[in-house]
Amino acid sequence: MNDITYSNLHKILSEGKFAVTAECGPPRGANREVITKKLELLKGNVDAVNVTDNQTAIVRMSSIAASAQLVDAGLEPVMQMVVRDRNRIAIQSDIMGAYALGIKNILCLTGDHQKFGSQPDAANVFDIDSINLIKAVKDMRDKGKDMSGHELDVAPQMFIGAAANPFADPFEYRILRLAKKVEAGAGFIQTQCIYNMDRFGEWMKRAVDAGLTEKTYILAGVTPLKSAGMAKYMNNNVAGIEIPDGIIKKMEDTPKEKQVEEGLKMCMEDIARLREMEGVSGIHIMAIEWEAIVERIVKESGLKK
Amino acid sequence: MITGEQKPVQEILEIVKPYKNILILGCGTCVKTCFAGGEDEVAVLASALRLAYKRDGRKIQVKEFTIERQCENEFIQESAAEVAQCDAVLSLACGAGVQAMAKRFEDMPILPGVNTTFIGIQETEGIFTEECSGCGNCELANFGGICPVTRCAKKLMNGPCGGSQDGKCEINPETDCAWNQIIDRLTKLGQMDNLKKIIPPKNWNTSLSGGPRKLVREDHII
Amino acid sequence: MIKKDRPRITIFYCINSFRQPEKPILEDCDIKYIKMPCSSMTKDVYLLRAFEAGADAVMVLVCPEDACRYAEGGKRARKRIEWVRGILDQIGMDGERQLAIYNIVSGDDKAVKEIIKKTLEGLKEIKKSPEKHV
Repeated sequence: MNDITYSNLHKILSEGKFAVTAECGPPRGANREVITKKLELLKGNVDAVNVTDNQTAIVRMSSIAASAQLVDAGLEPVMQMVVRDRNRIAIQSDIMGAYALGIKNILCLTGDHQKFGSQPDAANVFDIDSINLIKAVKDMRDKGKDMSGHELDVAPQMFIGAAANPFADPFEYRILRLAKKVEAGAGFIQTQCIYNMDRFGEWMKRAVDAGLTEKTYILAGVTPLKSAGMAKYMNNNVAGIEIPDGIIKKMEDTPKEKQVEEGLKMCMEDIARLREMEGVSGIHIMAIEWEAIVERIVKESGLKK
Repeated sequence: MITGEQKPVQEILEIVKPYKNILILGCGTCVKTCFAGGEDEVAVLASALRLAYKRDGRKIQVKEFTIERQCENEFIQESAAEVAQCDAVLSLACGAGVQAMAKRFEDMPILPGVNTTFIGIQETEGIFTEECSGCGNCELANFGGICPVTRCAKKLMNGPCGGSQDGKCEINPETDCAWNQIIDRLTKLGQMDNLKKIIPPKNWNTSLSGGPRKLVREDHII
Repeated sequence: MIKKDRPRITIFYCINSFRQPEKPILEDCDIKYIKMPCSSMTKDVYLLRAFEAGADAVMVLVCPEDACRYAEGGKRARKRIEWVRGILDQIGMDGERQLAIYNIVSGDDKAVKEIIKKTLEGLKEIKKSPEKHV
């Protein structure tokens, strides 16, 4: 990996430090205050914050706007961008705009199908896929040209990330796809939240064996479980999330009022185990609508002092 | 073949409401195969409409006629006499047939009785699947004969996405993940190398996105 | 609305499952019989035209499923009855009460009588709901 670092997150990772990122979902409206409150809970506790892009196809304030708000408040955003809603014209336009607003990290995603969201009647776009998005951002950065070959007056110098799901199928092909993302230009990877440590360990080993951890930084995703109900719901209803029966049972066997603590305990144990895994460069905490817990997780697990 | 489904009877009743004398015109090709608008379906619909009107105490004259194809003049001509005798034609052809009729009979309301859906095949008896979206730039050779533009819900060129689980697509547990199928097929064919390189973004200019298309064969124009 | 004193029933029957009786099965209704060489001859358009011709209810009599002489006749007929029921419901009629298929063992006139009685009761039920008048 070369010496130029494109953002603070990139710098931390390149210095071999274990990075911590969290997530911030914009509001379903134009209320800046929602973001202000969330970033106050996260500032100082994490190295960068992912700002989601109409997650689950539910219409929310745009990722670029919310990310710009983070920049103004001195907190580094990772702007998420899905290819579901924008064609290559809007995509390139937004990347240039984002960089001009001080946004230096981008996470390139496919996006959940609109069938799941608040506007299932909308036409989707999917003009280009996430891998071609990664490549487009990389070419803008490294070649200084847009997708049509036009030379950019200022080329956006962004740190490019992609998502990876070690629990989606087909398992064998996932490493090949990860390799493609890295080749396209993904400098960091954030995984879907992990509960099956053994399966994740297998996937990490394959990534290491394929030499991918020498070309990209992998941040392991975690989400603390709040209840047995949440565990069961996520396992059955959310695509790409696998929660082993043992964990669900453990939550079920815990009395209701103690389940939150048990979930946090398991999360900390997972973080400890992930820190020791070869090739894992950081943790990505997805505490959905529970930004308040991030500080505690980060401090109690020793990720931050 | 082109697939379609007959509109719900209630919707058809609304559509034909202004007219007292209608001709239900069927087509003997694609819509017959998918049981939407062939001769038999024309007969059933005619009967249902007459029954519905009878129950409401209203009057309607419903005539039935079917031609081989509603997208070709040669056959459309055969319906001219029947068309002349009605106030409106309820066409059970695909959208192309309805419009072909409308172009030829400019003074006659031509109404659609079928919702045209896709280009597809009869997978097994009674089951039809969408296969082709007419992108105008076929890359099936790269994908082992499985179209990611049509059969992947996200039109991915470098799939699958993270929502693929147990070989099924995230949008519906009964929908196969096209990328899972592509990987299986290419593995069988020993062509997995096709997927090693990054497949570039599709040129959508040749698809409907580029505007309604026209095919001109000069060699067939005298 | 035509006032009818006696309900009218049309019975389509497979000749292997039923034989038309000489005397009427029931006195308080008019029954029209249509025979078919096989239950698979039950066509959607014939059922609808029976209603157009004035039937209040249509019944289809076929052999028991594993006793069909042509193996699948009864099964196919059942599917078509389901389809036409859907159409009847769509136009505001009562698919379930006005159209039904029954598996009959040849000679079981008692069963047929019971079915007709049940159908007539169904028609009475419909008369009670004004929106579904026959």
